[in-house]
Amino acid sequence: MKHISSIAGGVALGTAGVMMMSVLTGCEAPKEELQNRFLIIEQQTNGKYIVVEEVPTEGPNRAIIREKDANGNTVERFMNEAEMKALADQEYQKVQNGTSETIHDNGGSAGMGLAGTILAVAAGSLLGNMIGNALMNNKSFAKNSARTNKSSYSRSSASKSKAKSSSKKSFFGGSKKSSSRSGGFFGG
Amino acid sequence: MVQLQKLTPLDDETLEKLGFSWHTDTDGSKYVSDALVSITQEEAEAYYNASNELYDMYVEAAEHVIENDLFFDLGIPFNLVDVIKKSWENDVHWHIYGRFDLAGGIDGQDIKLIEFNADTPTGLFETAMLQWALLKHNNMDENKQFNNVYEAISTNFKRLITLLDDVDEFDSRYDGWKILFSSISDNDEEEVTTKLLEQMANDAGFVTKFEFLENTNFDENGVYDADENSYEYWFKLYPWEDIAVDEPELATTLTNILQNQEAIILNPAYTLLFQSKGMLKILCDLFPDSPYLLKTSFEPLENTKQVEKSVFGREGANTAIVDENNQLLEKTDGPYDNYKKIYQEYVDFPKDREGDKYQAGVFFAYEACGLSFRKGGEIMDNMSKFVGHVIV
Repeated sequence: MKHISSIAGGVALGTAGVMMMSVLTGCEAPKEELQNRFLIIEQQTNGKYIVVEEVPTEGPNRAIIREKDANGNTVERFMNEAEMKALADQEYQKVQNGTSETIHDNGGSAGMGLAGTILAVAAGSLLGNMIGNALMNNKSFAKNSARTNKSSYSRSSASKSKAKSSSKKSFFGGSKKSSSRSGGFFGG
Repeated sequence: MVQLQKLTPLDDETLEKLGFSWHTDTDGSKYVSDALVSITQEEAEAYYNASNELYDMYVEAAEHVIENDLFFDLGIPFNLVDVIKKSWENDVHWHIYGRFDLAGGIDGQDIKLIEFNADTPTGLFETAMLQWALLKHNNMDENKQFNNVYEAISTNFKRLITLLDDVDEFDSRYDGWKILFSSISDNDEEEVTTKLLEQMANDAGFVTKFEFLENTNFDENGVYDADENSYEYWFKLYPWEDIAVDEPELATTLTNILQNQEAIILNPAYTLLFQSKGMLKILCDLFPDSPYLLKTSFEPLENTKQVEKSVFGREGANTAIVDENNQLLEKTDGPYDNYKKIYQEYVDFPKDREGDKYQAGVFFAYEACGLSFRKGGEIMDNMSKFVGHVIV
């Protein structure tokens, strides 16, 4: 077997192999690091919240919540780790009884309630890796988590309006054509 | 008779944890077989050698098509001819991976080329990851599999930078160029396949990002994610011929992007030449003595059991088998009837005890790098099953 290589010990599977082996051996490796974060969470005009800034921090988890008051003025309040954890706990209870919006497909719109937003972006560091990883294995949760976080999916209103005026075009709007599993496994 | 080894299958929950969600077909049957095909080392070597030789033949045939302007013969959409030629002119348009579909190779049957899926091959997760996991799960020797797909593709991404030079040069030459990976939304299988490729590129050392096709933006100056960041490379798990037909304006934009050297599109446009089943006829013209080729023509073959296929088509659709007396034996409908037809001499696939047929798939990334099988009926369609292998 001079030319034919195989996978010895999964080493050749790179980072994907680490995940595979951890699942197969039943001791799943932490996907989400126990990294504390400093978050800025902003309320949108529809009342929902998204994370607009996320900075890893050496200190405890903490957040600035930016909301509109009754007069439409922006107000900021500070939230410490204990408060964040309480909200995350409360939302996690809802996950367990199936009522949390974090585990439901919300049709692609970004943002959730404050507790859901906090759980979506910081479950691992607030409630521990086991819970964090279990949640991320739920597809809807993972999607909501990504959508709630500006750094990956959501965009500020400023960049949205910029996109509108730009000459760049997107395609594939109506197309749902699949390149298909078989990709041409034709018989004959 | 195909030799099989029964396995303890992975349960659905574990498969899903591994990221493999398409484990059950639409008719409720399991997509992954609970057996492995047993092959010998010599058989594995033969698949390896055949695929490498076939790739060299494809490269020569593509050169022949371009030099002699045979795009029409292959059914290539006219609005892709320029981008194909441009991608062929420069090695920076590096072919990342493809998959040969082969008949024979086991049970004493000769290896014969069925076709080459060079543009958007799937079955990647199953071959690279899942069949290895099946060995591991059954406490079998992981070395006993022709499967180096992950590392081979990861290494091949490095060649986008080093080209034909030593891939060890990657680290010193790489300057932060980014690859954007895209597939359509609402299709788990394609999303997972594309993200696996992204992970391979990331392991190679590239800065990468995933963006659904619908959210990817384009202008003459490049390709952008939803946040308008531009990328030097764009990998799309979406067929070139569908871009040509369904999104002709994008075909023009991509041609200009290449012309302006703003971005590199993967797999390169010239892989559509390889993908066209019309190439099977060109190969026969150029390599009449190759042991790997079935006789193929643009006209029906006389007095020959044969298979009629569209030059571009998927999942076994629009395929017909007729016998030597021109009697129709089997036929599938589908959306690809408008494409030009080819006629390929029929060859029987190796069969198991139940009469199910097996087709080999060999992944290619600079060289042949992994093997897996499909199990199905006379025409392998989207209900065919994935079967891993073990070298005994």
